[in-house]
Amino acid sequence: MSERRFAGLMLLPGAAWLVLLFVVPLGITLAISFGVTDELGNALYAWKPENYSRIFDPLFAPVLLRSVGYAAATVVLCVLIGYPVAYYIARFGGRYKYLLVALVVLPFLVNYLIRIYAWTAILSDEGLVNGVLADAGFTDDGVRFLNTPWAVVGGLVYGYMAFMILPIYAALDRMDPTLVEAGKDLYGTRWQTFRHVTWPATFQGVLAGSVLVFLPTVGDFVSAQLLGGPDTYMVGNLIQQQFFDASNYPFGAALTTVLMGFLLVFMLFYLRSAGRAAEEARL
Amino acid sequence: MNDKEIERWIAARMSRRDVLRAGGGLALGAAMAGCGLGNSTPDESATTREIEPEIDGDLVYFNWAQYLNPKLIKQFQRKYGVEVRESNFDSMPGMMAKLRSSNRYDLIFPSAEFANRLVSANFLLRIPRAKLAAIDDVYSFFDDPWYDPGSEHTVPYSLYLTGLGYRSDRVGAMSGSWRDLTNPEADGRSYILDDFQEGIGMANLVNGHDLNASEPEQLEQAKDYLIGLKPDLRGFSSDTITNMASGNAWIQHLWNGDIINARYRVDDPDTLRFQQNREGVPVGSDVFAIPANAEHPGTALLFIDFILERSAENATWTGYPMPTRSSERPYAELVADEPELQVTVEDLEAGQQFADLEGQAREDWDRVWTEVKAA
Repeated sequence: MSERRFAGLMLLPGAAWLVLLFVVPLGITLAISFGVTDELGNALYAWKPENYSRIFDPLFAPVLLRSVGYAAATVVLCVLIGYPVAYYIARFGGRYKYLLVALVVLPFLVNYLIRIYAWTAILSDEGLVNGVLADAGFTDDGVRFLNTPWAVVGGLVYGYMAFMILPIYAALDRMDPTLVEAGKDLYGTRWQTFRHVTWPATFQGVLAGSVLVFLPTVGDFVSAQLLGGPDTYMVGNLIQQQFFDASNYPFGAALTTVLMGFLLVFMLFYLRSAGRAAEEARL
Repeated sequence: MNDKEIERWIAARMSRRDVLRAGGGLALGAAMAGCGLGNSTPDESATTREIEPEIDGDLVYFNWAQYLNPKLIKQFQRKYGVEVRESNFDSMPGMMAKLRSSNRYDLIFPSAEFANRLVSANFLLRIPRAKLAAIDDVYSFFDDPWYDPGSEHTVPYSLYLTGLGYRSDRVGAMSGSWRDLTNPEADGRSYILDDFQEGIGMANLVNGHDLNASEPEQLEQAKDYLIGLKPDLRGFSSDTITNMASGNAWIQHLWNGDIINARYRVDDPDTLRFQQNREGVPVGSDVFAIPANAEHPGTALLFIDFILERSAENATWTGYPMPTRSSERPYAELVADEPELQVTVEDLEAGQQFADLEGQAREDWDRVWTEVKAA
């Protein structure tokens, strides 16, 4: 068997997987997005491009902007919290390094939905946090944490934090620690060394983490569903509503298609930037 | 806290209803796969299978959460040596989405107007009423209901009405109006049901229209009212029992039985009150039904009979009146001091019920609800 043919065979399972579980469903989504529904709510193939023009009804603009806003806020918070964590693990983890990484990943063994649901009990008006605050004499009626934009963004940060920590950790771990020493030898302050040595060397990790966090959070609906209020509706909730409450699969499919197109643009920007960085590293 | 207390604490704060809604989305793929194949509406022959009330396998049961006394399920399992495999929906459209995507259930609990839709789509098996021992206990009012002529495909399960639940220790002045949702004393702790019918229906009543008003300008008015309500709301949620029991809701748009059910979960049950509203009270009924593609219709039939026979125990646990004579007294005693919780068949006859909207009207209601949520 030639090497070429062998490589082709090795590709087969992966390709079959992608076609069956990615290309086909995507095709169905695309086909349904132009469809209509019957009296029972079944989607029927048809030609109804209005499903797409409806998305650009100004009514939905705040929902889209809000989703992007929450996702951006989540990315920023994840960088601010995740970078120091990754830094600590990579630099000072010592022999506990792998244990600490495992601890970061551990919550992911529990379903995201269940974890977010647990937060509703923790944050409720008579929940754990408010119980402690009340005992300490800070509040009588309970602070309203739940059903606020803060809770939604908090849930997203909590839910996707590991996607930020791991790439940054990998970048820090790969980085030659002697570079930092060199920076100090050149009389750089701690801050200057970080700013001119560590940060540029790990920037691609931050970027990768940001993309990994941003893409799923834009379309997330669990956090807004469980922790949000009437004014925290995200595009993921809108899509979910079309499938479950409004029985309007075609409009839901059209929304999904547009959202994916939008996210694809971000993905392409990232890939280009990462590709360029890899090229620079080779030079 | 000891184990019992912890269990209670969790039960008071968490139920399955909210998590269901979010979880439902994760099953999106399944729903898509079903519709991609282009389901066609079955013809009538699908509904006429002969069934006997005898065990033909485990019962695949699909209902609202906390809407049937769990003790009865345990008794049924023990008596017949079968498993009741329970899953829940959190809205009628959610139930429909699961049915559409070719999930097979033996027993479902649609509301009257959705039963009507399922009957006319040949989705439900004919139920041989004569083979149900407890059927004589059911009010004759249900012999020929509007949603199922001749009562051939459904057995009535419960009666309900919709109003406002509130915490009397937090909210003093309630005026007997839907407008109490914006009562400043609630301090932003009001919820309305995450249910397009109840939401738009309530707005129609407040605007002085019929519950089912569907003219474009009436729906536009309903939309404006609901959007105007949003700044005073804490959320859209059908997880009413948990909202009331956890203290997150001081005023909650809900179905009558849920307030009774919530009382079983709090320390001061007397602080949970219910009011009917003068602009109008939606009333309705839910039914048992067996889908045409059920794998174990015999067990389902047995189960219906088993629950009907014990409807008194079921009514006092769920908080909902059941359409049987034997449950009449126990339920009346339960709500003796609160006639506003009672629903009778006379109320059903005289009251405003949700209709099974068709065509453009149904599309408009769905669209308005989407726009209210998105605004």
